[in-house]
Amino acid sequence: MSSRKAFLQKAGLALFSIGVGGVPAFLATAAGSDKITRPYKKKKILVFIFQRGAMDGLMAVTPFTDSFLKAARPTLFMDAAKASAGKSLIDLDGRFGLHPSMGAFESLFREKRLAIAHGMGSPNNTRSHFDAQDYMESGTPFSKGTASGWLNRAIGLMGHDGTPFRAVSITAALPRSFYGDNETMAISNLQDFAIQLKGNPMGANAAAKSFEELYDQTTTSLLSKTGKESFEAIKMLQKTDVKNYRPATGVIYPASPLGNSLKQIAQMIKMDVGLEVAFAESGGWDTHFNQGTENGIFARNVADLSNSIAAFWKDIEPMQDDITLMTSTEFGRTVKQNGTGGTDHGRASCAFILGNDVNGGSVLGDIKPLSIENLADGRDLAVTTDFRSIFSEVANAHLHINDNKILFPEWSGGKAGVMK
Amino acid sequence: MIQAGKIFFVLTVCLLVNLLFSSFNKQDAHPVNFKMPFKQAGFTERQAAAHLIDRFTFGNSPGYLDEVIKSGLENWFLQQLEGKQNDADLNKRLSGYDALQMSNTQVLTKFPRTATIVKEAVAEGIISKDSLKENGKKEYREAVKAYMEQKGYKPQQELFRQFVSQKILSAAYSNNQLHQVLTEFWFNHFNVSISKNQCAPYIPAYERDVIRPNVAGKFGTLLLATAQSPAMLFYLDNFSSSGENSDFKQRQEKLQQRLEKKASQANDEDPSGDKAKLMEKLSTNKKNQGLNENYAREIMELHTLGVDGGYSQQDVTNAAKVLTGWTVYPMANGPASAVKKMIERFGEDNLAAKGFVHDGDFFFAINRHDNGAKTVLGKPFAAGGGYQDGLDLINLLAHHAATAKFICKKLAVKFVSDNPPASLTDKMAATFLANNGDIKEVLKTMVAAPEFWTKDAIAQKTKSPLELAISSVRALDATVNMPFLMYQWVSKMGQKLYYYQAPTGFPDKGQYWINTGALLNRMNFGLAFASQKIPGVEFNLAAINNNHEPESAIDALKTYSKIILPERDVDATIKRLTALVNDPSIQQKIDEAAGKATSNSDQNHVAMGGNQDADEIMLDQKNGRILTEDKLARKNLGKRTKAGNEMMPSAAGNNSMLAQVVGIIIGSPEFQKR
Repeated sequence: MSSRKAFLQKAGLALFSIGVGGVPAFLATAAGSDKITRPYKKKKILVFIFQRGAMDGLMAVTPFTDSFLKAARPTLFMDAAKASAGKSLIDLDGRFGLHPSMGAFESLFREKRLAIAHGMGSPNNTRSHFDAQDYMESGTPFSKGTASGWLNRAIGLMGHDGTPFRAVSITAALPRSFYGDNETMAISNLQDFAIQLKGNPMGANAAAKSFEELYDQTTTSLLSKTGKESFEAIKMLQKTDVKNYRPATGVIYPASPLGNSLKQIAQMIKMDVGLEVAFAESGGWDTHFNQGTENGIFARNVADLSNSIAAFWKDIEPMQDDITLMTSTEFGRTVKQNGTGGTDHGRASCAFILGNDVNGGSVLGDIKPLSIENLADGRDLAVTTDFRSIFSEVANAHLHINDNKILFPEWSGGKAGVMK
Repeated sequence: MIQAGKIFFVLTVCLLVNLLFSSFNKQDAHPVNFKMPFKQAGFTERQAAAHLIDRFTFGNSPGYLDEVIKSGLENWFLQQLEGKQNDADLNKRLSGYDALQMSNTQVLTKFPRTATIVKEAVAEGIISKDSLKENGKKEYREAVKAYMEQKGYKPQQELFRQFVSQKILSAAYSNNQLHQVLTEFWFNHFNVSISKNQCAPYIPAYERDVIRPNVAGKFGTLLLATAQSPAMLFYLDNFSSSGENSDFKQRQEKLQQRLEKKASQANDEDPSGDKAKLMEKLSTNKKNQGLNENYAREIMELHTLGVDGGYSQQDVTNAAKVLTGWTVYPMANGPASAVKKMIERFGEDNLAAKGFVHDGDFFFAINRHDNGAKTVLGKPFAAGGGYQDGLDLINLLAHHAATAKFICKKLAVKFVSDNPPASLTDKMAATFLANNGDIKEVLKTMVAAPEFWTKDAIAQKTKSPLELAISSVRALDATVNMPFLMYQWVSKMGQKLYYYQAPTGFPDKGQYWINTGALLNRMNFGLAFASQKIPGVEFNLAAINNNHEPESAIDALKTYSKIILPERDVDATIKRLTALVNDPSIQQKIDEAAGKATSNSDQNHVAMGGNQDADEIMLDQKNGRILTEDKLARKNLGKRTKAGNEMMPSAAGNNSMLAQVVGIIIGSPEFQKR
């Protein structure tokens, strides 16, 4: 409560300070001199990446000693043996190998900051992208009507107020995970967070001033409160040059949607705007055709995923203790490759969890030999780790949320063991 | 015992209501006697008309308020309930959209899924199976494109582009405004989502044939129509639901046994060998059977009784059993299905004789229906009831007291306030039960109630992004030439229509719509719209002020506040802004900046055409058509800028000032409310 008030008071100093694409001097004076001191206690931050389309967990992190897998994937199987032609898997522990394009993850894994939860998935065996994503994001795998998303409930359970930037999704529309009563924001580009009028920045400035005045004085409390926050938020963002953000030395983000999203999340973290839950998406995982091995669609996807995450992790190095990053995907893919050089919809996949408080350095989960008897429905990697046992553990340990009955109703499982 | 009590209670309520409202019902026969008690509440006729327009339309337009008064408030409302005003103007605007009148079958034929197209092209030998592996390659894409052109196929995105454009145009230009508002309300109540591929192609017909004709009819008719629509059957999975006690299940079990026996005999461990194939068949077989409770749960929780409507998990399971076999009739070019094969094999007449029912796109497959006895909400359904049981269940739900309460509350939240008084919703629920769920009667009860006419109810609702955008179009009498771009603004403000994923629909409360990011986008929308920087939007600000140009910024502010926000108290807004507008240094700078911007057509061109946000919103749907539209917008703007600048009025200074003032009014707190 107090932090929210403090935020408003702190930032509520000046009307008049909105600029667009470079703050005009006559308007900027007030804002420029107003040095923002941190108005709230430093919070933990969770970054959640949803890999839409269902990642082939068996290719990302391959149980390469499994002869059944080798037989099931005549052209897709890769080995860790260095002698084989082309690139080989990165041997993690003698049994599992990282895809060669995920080299950026190796050091994080060896440093025991990166955990891999294999056999991760949902107890609902739907193989529809829509349904599986919906269930995973609502956090209720057998109930469609759940109005809220699990991250929105998580925000509600934190037990303290936040800034307008508390929960931000770098997407055009609000993701299902963010649906709910607690305030969240979807924004595809931080630069858009301003009063804008294309071709007429001066007009936008004058209008901004008018809007700020009008919202400040309106008697409708919802509009006046949110209006104030909007302008304070703009001012917060203007403390730094959002457009020309320069990551830490030596950090290069991939020029991809995910790289761009994580870069913006890093920006918000460094600007100290009160971010606590960030959401980003990664696409292109639905590899029915021509999945490729060391090169190809899948290799490009995992390269983007691991390089984006590694760049982000390095970029926010001084704040790493406060941040945990977690990936998930709606389901995995068939053990057997299909007739078009790809894989079809399956059951379990794997998740990556990164952070200094993560129980990293091992591939967690119960992966049995991939003989037909051990497969789900005779074809897929079985789900041995319920996604909720990972999500809840991360939320409990990192965000200090304790009420799992609200976070994941109708569930009472244990921990996956991904956190220290 | 409890159930019997409940039924007795319902009967009692019905009886009481009939007694109480018998005089009211008499009035219904003579609409002249239908009265809205606004005078008693201290409203002038103009204030009352403005309030009605705020609540039952997508916004006032110049001269409309006078028309409402001229027809008489009560009469206007009754006409709007009927929804039979001439819509020739709207129909003309919609005439260019060829997909809007298509049946589901036609849609599937014209806009097949990419997977269907590829499969067909492979079968015809146009595309080789090997080239599927080249999926991402340019040659492959071009081969698919050429095949589509040859066959006359269009991408599905084109269907949705037409569909959402239709939404924008209908909301803005229909003379049957209340029916448009109700269409949005009921669609959202019975939400389905384009984000679920399986149900997406059926959604345009869903709105047109299932929702629209029933928005002001009997609730039960609407409920049944949704229950039998392909969009809903696919969205909430009932199409695949089958019963334990069904022929289908027995057949599947026999198949299962055969497969299992074979699988146990095959002892090779080769993952691509026979055993694996058998196991896969087994898994598909398993997938094709079983009860799916999704629809049964949501029809109770979200569509009728409400979450506190007094049903149990057992009721959900049993309702699901009652509805087993309710599925979609296989369509030409639709996905292959067991039902399709069965119809081909046995013939429709034979099936009808056995209790199968075919009605339009709906199909009742009695072989999948659970034949056992069930009880739902205390009502017994004897074994072997078949199709009629489903109808009876839906009828029971449609007329339940909890449904009356739940639906009437939702209507009152939509039309009165986020927290409507119980005294009002009780009256509405009583009407609902007494009149067989007649939506018109319920709405009449609502506006005839003193609770509707309290002064503090004025402008208490927050506009949804769609309401904000359309009320802007109407307020300025604007022409929208590229409605899709308006749709993208609505999405950006937080309401990606038809894509809301959860069956709850968008929450109808101010707090949901107003957050920091969304509010900024609303202000930016106001500025972009008023300065005609949304491609395809055209209007003449002078025309709505009798071609009189305001003499100063203050004059503009006063005049246009009153035009755009009739009967609202805008004195505070004007007072707040006067000081700002009067600041000469700012005014000069705006004029200078605007002058520069307009004189430099290239700069303007780039700034307006680079519709980055729009591109981002449609990122998941890369589609030639949309890009073409964007390009077209760019081209048109270029032309206009050169040819004497129709869109940017010539006297840059003064008119940009006026646009600026109007933009601020549209982005102001007062205009966010209705």
